[in-house]
Amino acid sequence: MARIEADDLRKVFRAPDKRPGLAGSLRHLVERRYTEKVAVDGISLRVEAGEAVAYVGPNGAGKSTTIKLLTGILVPTSGEVRVNGIVPHRNRVENARGIGVVFGQRTSLWWDLAVRDSLELLRDMHGLGAAEYRANLDRLVEMLGIGDFLSSTARRLSLGQRMRADLAAALLHNPPIVYLDEPTIGLDIEVKDRLRAFLRQIVAEGTTLVLTTHDLGEIEDVCSRLVIIDQGRIVHDGGLRQVIETYARERVMHVDLAARPASLAGIATRLAGATVTEERDGLGVAVTFDPLAHTAGDVLTAIQAELQVVDLRIKEPAIEDVVRRMYAGQLLGGPDDRPDDAPDDGPER
Amino acid sequence: MTAAVALPPAPAPRVSDLRRDVRAYRAMGRAAFRSLVAYQTSFLFGLLATTLAAVAMLYLWRSVLAAGTINGFDWPAMKAYLLVAFVAGSLVSSYVDYRMAGRIQQGDVAMDLVRPVDYQRSRFAEALGFGGYELGTGLVVAAAAAAVFGGVPAPAHQSLGPFAVSAVLVLPLRFGIVYISALVVFWTRNYIGVQSARIALITLFSGGLVPLAFFPGWLQGLASALPFAGMASTPALLYVGRLAGADAWRAVGVQAAWTVGLWWLGRAMWRGASRQLTVHGG
Repeated sequence: MARIEADDLRKVFRAPDKRPGLAGSLRHLVERRYTEKVAVDGISLRVEAGEAVAYVGPNGAGKSTTIKLLTGILVPTSGEVRVNGIVPHRNRVENARGIGVVFGQRTSLWWDLAVRDSLELLRDMHGLGAAEYRANLDRLVEMLGIGDFLSSTARRLSLGQRMRADLAAALLHNPPIVYLDEPTIGLDIEVKDRLRAFLRQIVAEGTTLVLTTHDLGEIEDVCSRLVIIDQGRIVHDGGLRQVIETYARERVMHVDLAARPASLAGIATRLAGATVTEERDGLGVAVTFDPLAHTAGDVLTAIQAELQVVDLRIKEPAIEDVVRRMYAGQLLGGPDDRPDDAPDDGPER
Repeated sequence: MTAAVALPPAPAPRVSDLRRDVRAYRAMGRAAFRSLVAYQTSFLFGLLATTLAAVAMLYLWRSVLAAGTINGFDWPAMKAYLLVAFVAGSLVSSYVDYRMAGRIQQGDVAMDLVRPVDYQRSRFAEALGFGGYELGTGLVVAAAAAAVFGGVPAPAHQSLGPFAVSAVLVLPLRFGIVYISALVVFWTRNYIGVQSARIALITLFSGGLVPLAFFPGWLQGLASALPFAGMASTPALLYVGRLAGADAWRAVGVQAAWTVGLWWLGRAMWRGASRQLTVHGG
């Protein structure tokens, strides 16, 4: 049995439909009208032990709502959900023992207590023994670097500190399932790196991880499976590598030149199907190519036959590109032949 | 429990369920007590306001009763009645419901739903923690007022038993009302109106301002059947000995029935409320 099992989950919110102004409010008193908004529209999902799933999609796609259904915070309008074999919204307390949750926008710390006191409260709630608590706390203090502000009140923490303390609070009881909803808001690069390493480690130890994030670098670093959701439906569910190979297969070779070339047409004719664009005010060229059609060596040879190359970088497709394409409504069309005009923030080689 | 799934074995034996729960709720109560101590200034300002109101009442009733006994109350009995009602009224002050209502409005209640503790019991544990502090300060103020106004008679010994039971029931009963009114925020999305309505009902029907004996007969009958009487009138009347014998136990019985009834009503409401929770964004 999978750790997380969701079948055809739906969540419909009903919002009062008030017309603007006082007249609209008064009218609402007599004539109640509601708009139904389908936030999650038939999601089925199975997640096994030790699986790390990235759950991504544009704003308002239903990511957070799904997490809230899986954690038992929200009751589904229809459909089935089981987590650790428990129906989360029917058995919230039991469910809460087996999960750890971080919502980046909210805190689970007690606002007017010191972080250490909040953690001790959680220790008592989860019934952790003294030795287990100490061991887990030491590990979290080391991994998350929270030792310096354990005795500060939660309200005094910076955003980054609060996030780290919240992560510690969620992981303190070694939950078999961890949900992280935008967990890296406000974290600097160094802490992000440490957090990623930590997440990789707990996943390797068998923890199931569901991660929603806008930081797509995190996904590539931690997750092996990618679920893409849009308008409440899963539009893709599969291995991360495979997605990149299907939807973001093309590579981009960026070349710096010694002098401005007269024309780029020669390169294009040597490489059928590749796109050649000018960069850096004419002092650079970007060639977008499909590695199944041309090897990087072919591309370089073609460029060098025409121009004098000073330096070069090859940009591999990043998950950013996949999702960016999906946002632009291009996902179902597969790889297109438009030049990649994405900013160069992906991993480069 | 159906969780026959392969949870990773816990590295160390965890404590038993009952001990764990006792520890958890006790810790929450302690944390509530501590956070009230941390906000002493704001709490003490609130206490100052209610103290001034109580002192004003004492002066008022002293001049009213200077001429003699009205509705069976003489000045010493009225003094004792008002001070007991004051201490009872200082329990479960606005902290429990402010917190709850605020968290429900802002959606932070979502975080409470992923804690491995029962929501209502947790809030009750916090109310007990706050209550320790409220009772302490309330007793100090009442003792000081008693000293200023020339002392109060000791509790009537013929109704000492029912008084003790009634006094213990005040906090859980007040909690029941406060908890339910805060849950209403799930539907209204706003607490100010609900809170004013609750305070008005309590002020009128608890007998904290005017003993219920001063009401017309039909209203007295109604008030003694409502839950509010148990929040001030019942313990105060028992203290001064105005309720005795079978009447005393009947009043305590009504108070106990409401305490239990409101607890279960609160549970049912929570079930409905948390079903229709909507948390937008974040």
